[in-house]
Amino acid sequence: MFGKGLLTGLGITFKRMVGPNITEFYPEQKPNLPIRVRSSMGLEREKCISCNMCAMACPNGVIKLTSEKDETTNKKVLKSYQMDVGRCLFCGMCAEVCPTKALTVTQEYENSVFEPGDMQWDMIKRAERKGKVG
Amino acid sequence: METLSKPMETFDNLFLIIAHFIRGLFADPQSVWANLTMSIINFIIVVVIVVLAALILILLERKVAGWTSQRPGPNRLGPRGWFQTIADALKLMGKEDITPAGADKFIFKVAPMIIFALPMMTLAVIPYGNGLAPINLDLGIFYFLAISAISTVAFIMAGWGSNNKYSLLGGMRAVAQMISYEIPLLFSLLGVVMITQSFNLGVIVEAQKNIPFILLQPLAFVIYIIAGMAELNRAPFDLVEADQEVVAGPFTEYSGLRWGLFFLGEYGNMTAVSALAATVFLGGWQGPAILPGFVWFWLKVGIIIFFIMWARWTFPRIRIDHLMHLAWKVLLPLSILNIFLTGLGIYIYRLVMGG
Repeated sequence: MFGKGLLTGLGITFKRMVGPNITEFYPEQKPNLPIRVRSSMGLEREKCISCNMCAMACPNGVIKLTSEKDETTNKKVLKSYQMDVGRCLFCGMCAEVCPTKALTVTQEYENSVFEPGDMQWDMIKRAERKGKVG
Repeated sequence: METLSKPMETFDNLFLIIAHFIRGLFADPQSVWANLTMSIINFIIVVVIVVLAALILILLERKVAGWTSQRPGPNRLGPRGWFQTIADALKLMGKEDITPAGADKFIFKVAPMIIFALPMMTLAVIPYGNGLAPINLDLGIFYFLAISAISTVAFIMAGWGSNNKYSLLGGMRAVAQMISYEIPLLFSLLGVVMITQSFNLGVIVEAQKNIPFILLQPLAFVIYIIAGMAELNRAPFDLVEADQEVVAGPFTEYSGLRWGLFFLGEYGNMTAVSALAATVFLGGWQGPAILPGFVWFWLKVGIIIFFIMWARWTFPRIRIDHLMHLAWKVLLPLSILNIFLTGLGIYIYRLVMGG
C-alpha cells in the first residue's frame, strides 16, 4: 500500500510517546554506576606505610608524599599526601601496587571544582572529611 | 430567560449571554457604539486566542518532541516545566533587536508584523461555538484562504529585506512551496462547498449536524491536512527554514522580539489551519451534548494540532523536487478527482431523492 511506511513510522513514534521515559533525572536521582568505574581515589591513613610505591608506579607523577620516622616504633609515619588530580588518569596502578591496600580507587564522581588550585587534593584531609581517619 | 433552567445549555451559550449583557448596558443595544464595543471585544478575544495558543503550543511542541524521543521535555520551571514558555518569552524580550546594516529596513521590519497579523485576521471568521463567530462572514472560507495566502508575501519580504543569500533562498523556497500547495488546499475545500452550497463557515458547521464531512470527504481531509502542513512550513515540509540547508531561511537575520513575532505567527497560523480543518471536516462545535460547543471545538482543534506535531517529529524532511512532485502530480489530480466524485455524488443523490 502506498504510504504504509508513513503509517508505520507514526505508529512507532506513538509507541515511544506513550511508553516510559528513559531519561535519568541526574541531580535528584543518582545513577547506578557500573562496578568497573574508576572516578576518584581514597586513602586510609592508618594502613599506609609510606613505602612510596604508589608515587613510583604513577605514570604521570601525580602523587607526592612525605613521611617522618617515628623514633619509638622505628616506622615511617605519613606526614602529607598530595595528589595533582588534574593530571590523574584514574588508571588505578597506584592502588594496584599498594602493598597494604591503603590507597583505593573509589566511585565518587562529582569531582568538578571552580579553581585550578582545588585540583591539588590533600588526601589526608579528604580522608578526615569522610570520617575515615582512625 | 428560560435557558437558565438547563445548566448545560446555559454553559453552552455562556459567551452569548455575556455578549447580550454587554449590549444591554447601552441605551440602544443595536446602536453603532454597541456594535463598535462588541467588535473591539471580539478583536481582543482573537488576539488573546493567538497569544495563548502560541504560549501553550510552543511548550506542547517541545513536550511532544521530548515524548517521541523518550525524554520528559522541559521540566525545570513550574510544575513539570509547564511555565517554560513564559521564561522563553521574557528571554526573547530581553534580547538585542538587531537590524543588519545592509538590510532593506522598512521591509525587514514590516515582514514579522504581517506574519503576526494574519492568524488574527483568519481566526476572526471561525465559529467557535453556536453563533460564536467573531465576524460572521458570508465568504468565510474564501476570505480565510485569501488572507492566509498573504503570508507568502511576508516570507519573501523577510527573505529579501534581510539582504542575506540564505534568507533569499529560503524566501524563494517559501514562494514556490506555498503557491504550489495553495491549489490542492483550495480544491480540497471545494468539495465541502459544493455539498453545502455556501462559503459561510457557520452554515458549513450547521450542515454537519448529522454527519461530519470527514466521512463524506475522507480524501479531501487527507489532502487538506498534507497541504495545510506544507502551507504552515512545518516538518516534513519545512524547506523554508531548513536549518541544515539554508541556516534558518528568512528568519536568519532576525533576533529578539521580531523573531518571536515570527514564532507567534507560525503557531497562530497552525491554530488557524487546524481550526479550519475542525470547522470544515470535523463538525466544528457540533458534538454530543455532554460538553458545551466551544469545548468540542477546541478539542477537535487540539487533536489536529497534536497530529501535526506528531507528524513533524516522526518524518524526515522531504526533498525539494519531491515536494513539488507531490503537490503537482499527486495532490492536485487527487483533489480534482475528489471534486469530480463529489459532483457525481451530488448528481446521483439528486436523481435518487428527486431534488
